[in-house]
Amino acid sequence: MKKNNEMLSAAEIREKRLGVLYKILPVISVLLLVALWLAASSSGTGFPSPIQVWDRTVQLFVKPVKKLSLIGHVGVSLRRIGLALLFDWTFGIAFGVLIGWFPRAKAFFGPLFNAFRAIPPLAWIPLITLWFGIGEFPKVLIVIFGSLASIVVNVQAGMSNVEKMYLDVGTVFNATPRQRLLKIAFPSALDAIFAGVRTSTSAAWMVVLAAEMLGANAGVGFLISRGMDSLDMPLVLTGMVAIGVVGAILAIVTQFAERMICPWTRRKKSY
Amino acid sequence: MDEKKKVILRLENICQSYVVQNGVKDAVENVSLEIYDNEFLVILGPGHCGKTVLMNMIAGLEKPVGGKIFLDGEEIHGSDRRIGMVFQSMNLMPWRTVMGNVEFGLELAGVKKAERRAVAQKYIDLVGLTGFENSYPHELSGGMKQRVGIARAYTNNPQILLMDEPFGALDAQTRYAMEEEVLRIWEQEKRTIIFVTNNIEEAVYLADRIVLLSNCPATVKQVYDLSGLPKPRNMTDPAFLKIRSEVSANTDLAL
Amino acid sequence: MNETTNAMTNEQRVKLVQDQKRKLTYQSAMLSVAGILGFLLLWEFLAVSGVIESKKLSDVLQVFRLFILKFVDKKPDGAILPVHIWSSLEVALCGFGLAVLVGIPLGWLMGWYRGFDSFMRPIFEIIRPIPPVSWIPLTIVWLGVGLRAKAFIVFFAAFVPCLINSYTGIRQTKEVLKNVGKTCGASYFTVFWKVGIPSSMTMTFAGIKVAIGNAWATLVAAEMLASSSGLGYMILMGRSYGRVDLVMMGILVIGILGVVISALINLLENVVLGWKKL
Repeated sequence: MKKNNEMLSAAEIREKRLGVLYKILPVISVLLLVALWLAASSSGTGFPSPIQVWDRTVQLFVKPVKKLSLIGHVGVSLRRIGLALLFDWTFGIAFGVLIGWFPRAKAFFGPLFNAFRAIPPLAWIPLITLWFGIGEFPKVLIVIFGSLASIVVNVQAGMSNVEKMYLDVGTVFNATPRQRLLKIAFPSALDAIFAGVRTSTSAAWMVVLAAEMLGANAGVGFLISRGMDSLDMPLVLTGMVAIGVVGAILAIVTQFAERMICPWTRRKKSY
Repeated sequence: MDEKKKVILRLENICQSYVVQNGVKDAVENVSLEIYDNEFLVILGPGHCGKTVLMNMIAGLEKPVGGKIFLDGEEIHGSDRRIGMVFQSMNLMPWRTVMGNVEFGLELAGVKKAERRAVAQKYIDLVGLTGFENSYPHELSGGMKQRVGIARAYTNNPQILLMDEPFGALDAQTRYAMEEEVLRIWEQEKRTIIFVTNNIEEAVYLADRIVLLSNCPATVKQVYDLSGLPKPRNMTDPAFLKIRSEVSANTDLAL
Repeated sequence: MNETTNAMTNEQRVKLVQDQKRKLTYQSAMLSVAGILGFLLLWEFLAVSGVIESKKLSDVLQVFRLFILKFVDKKPDGAILPVHIWSSLEVALCGFGLAVLVGIPLGWLMGWYRGFDSFMRPIFEIIRPIPPVSWIPLTIVWLGVGLRAKAFIVFFAAFVPCLINSYTGIRQTKEVLKNVGKTCGASYFTVFWKVGIPSSMTMTFAGIKVAIGNAWATLVAAEMLASSSGLGYMILMGRSYGRVDLVMMGILVIGILGVVISALINLLENVVLGWKKL
């Protein structure tokens, strides 16, 4: 049933107007951002205009840099984080379970792990390149160093905070220690583990970028540093946009995977 | 009931106390009880005193400081398959469906999938949750969750079912309905039930016998035999009200 | 108490429990020490025995000696250690401070006023997924290689967690608390000031902690990519001169300073959020 305007109270009219305003404001802000970009590019600071960036992106497909189109470079970066994350999710989860579930293991490895974690991932780059040169393996290793801590921390937290009430159920049903770990503690920590998967993915994406900027022949980070070296600002921006887009896609994919694998957490995330 | 009642569970001088900071706090003191086969025993006590602790000790969740527990004549230490438990906070595992939660005990016991499905289905039907097998706990109401809890405890086919204030978290209407449900289920699948509550009306409505505990530390204050009162009971029946006020007058205030 | 079932007196039990607790603490402390000591010994063994050549791994003592020496020695990167440390701290604090000053109030306002949220949200969501490190080329073009450029990059790294946390924190303000304010006749802004902000403080601090970690980590990258001073620059120089001892010492100093800064933030949190303690 639709109400006529005369039938609406003053508060309802106000509400309705605000609703319209809230829909318009985002559009205005995006337009402002674009205007700002255009203004910046026309003021002669060397900042490229959106059209230049678009042209450069198209050109990247026509005339690839180092024989790889934009997609190819993204693929190289993705392969690097893929390998690193594969290791993170197997070793990292196992290690997190170890120090989260067994107090003695935590006492033994905990302080060492915390010391390792205190060192910013990118600070490893000089040492790792000193050890292993500049091939593919050291890059993957840097990404591992950069993203391992976030998953271990999450898994460890999840495993050491298993609610006693779930374990009580296990005790009443005479669960063996193995069953307590595999059937109760591990599944109850799954949402914490997935939080770790998400943060480690975004951390890996950031680290691979920095690693590639510091010395690589392919990858999105390489595109950016190439643009920086040859003062090709449109290329830099193309790289940045690609990074942003891929990063956002990765976040969406991991979130989607979480909902598929842990359907019971759906309720908690309202947005 | 006749006099040849078989004792299934015997508590002998059970004591429990906890070390807090620099002293010892007694929770349960010298509780001795005999629980008969297939009876509905209600343990009634004020506040937070000792009742849950007593349940936990029978279930094997904690060890008593002193005393012995005999099941079917033999002493037990720790948890036992013949004793099942329905928890106050339901303790359903949010990552398992209703079916997954109900079959959990059988799964731990290593029962084959087809078999445990069949058993679980039987008890899901019994508690009236047919059709909700694939729902997750967060999709259920409080009363339904506790039905899952009851079904889960039943599937392992225990001789004794412990129910620790199972309806404490429910609203009054649901609570009445669940009390009736529990009696119906118990009539259909006779087990020994030890039911803990702090609600006098609930106790008088359900019990064959009521064990009244004192305030901290918990000791057995009195035992009421209600087997003369036929079930289902009417909460406004004069006989019901008489026992109710009798118990009520004898209950310690929990402060 | 029943003496036949309870063989011990209360005093004995208290003592027993306390002894057990002490033993457990002692055990885990020993294990921790063993872990760290084992690691150091392994490191020392690998370095001294020559299993790993000294060009790739220098031993513990050597690193420590260099740490002392570096307080006066400018070689090979052109500055003594305190200068590098100060340069790094300056940048980190500038960028981080700015991020806190801008990000947190912005988060509060966005979380409280719907109109402001719908205006700022798209801009934020566009900028957020771009990693701070990738701003480096642009900032070099705009601001050159200096304090301002590095601080700008650090700002980006610290800004996002500050904003997100203060935003979620104030969003989670309990409706009941807001209503208490409203029924007392307070204006929307007063409720914001007196209820919203205090109740968001826990989350906000969590954001600050993440932010300082991010800031410190990004700073190292910024110094390696666009700088001629700072700890990040120092380890990169160590790398190009093949001085493994310098690199390792730099990494350790960066790690330790990070821990110290986090500890200071924790201290601040305890002071500000004193009411959370029982």
